Amino acid sequence: MEILRYGHDAYGERVINGASWDLLPVAFWAGVAVIVGHLIWRAISRRSARRREEVAR
Amino acid sequence: MSTPDPAQLRHAGVDRLFHWGTAITMALLLVTSLSPILGIRFAWYAVHWVAGLVLTVLILLHIVRALVWQRPRTMLLLSAADFRAGGAGKYTLPQKLMHLAWAVAILAAVITGLLLLRKAGVPFLERDPYVRSLAGWGVLTLLHDLAALLSVFLILVHVYFGILPEKRAYLRAMVSGFIRRSDLSVEHDLKRVDRGE
Repeated sequence: MEILRYGHDAYGERVINGASWDLLPVAFWAGVAVIVGHLIWRAISRRSARRREEVAR
Repeated sequence: MSTPDPAQLRHAGVDRLFHWGTAITMALLLVTSLSPILGIRFAWYAVHWVAGLVLTVLILLHIVRALVWQRPRTMLLLSAADFRAGGAGKYTLPQKLMHLAWAVAILAAVITGLLLLRKAGVPFLERDPYVRSLAGWGVLTLLHDLAALLSVFLILVHVYFGILPEKRAYLRAMVSGFIRRSDLSVEHDLKRVDRGE
């Protein structure tokens, strides 16, 4: 996977053109990972809260 | 007899207009810039620079409004109470962090976008790619691209938290302007909210 896009100047020297678009799916899946991580944490914390309520009763 | 549960103004009309205006322009900017990368080819540049200028105006108005009529500290600065459960002021810790992340992404996109107009040219600004070296344009484009990538990540996370059932009161407040005190009391210290913190 590339991080940067490169081009060449008039002298054939390599210059940065921008960020590699290989990073686009990385940004997308990082967002999905946060969402999935939060859904798991939310389910676990809700289940433990329910258990605490049952014990308190 | 049920206890009264008054609603209070959370977002004034002008702030809601800013929020949804920013959302629409950001969506337009990302669709116009990323579609060609995904293989959907069309004349994207005109829509992109117009939406970029609209976003620039919105951001400038938002900064002026925040500095003159609002308390930027309420949204920007973190305090020890924000880390306490139920201790948030007007905004919770995740809301403050989201705003900071959006500030970084949008300011980087707007500043680099305005500078890049010189390279691509627009009707009111003659194209002149020789005012900067290729490496200079490359670095500006890199920062612009990184801002776009960060925005893709933030849109996903922002929309997800906006539509979560337990956070729905904040979404309703961003539509109607109002939020019930009982909804606020879940995560906010109402005394801090009333003090405008």
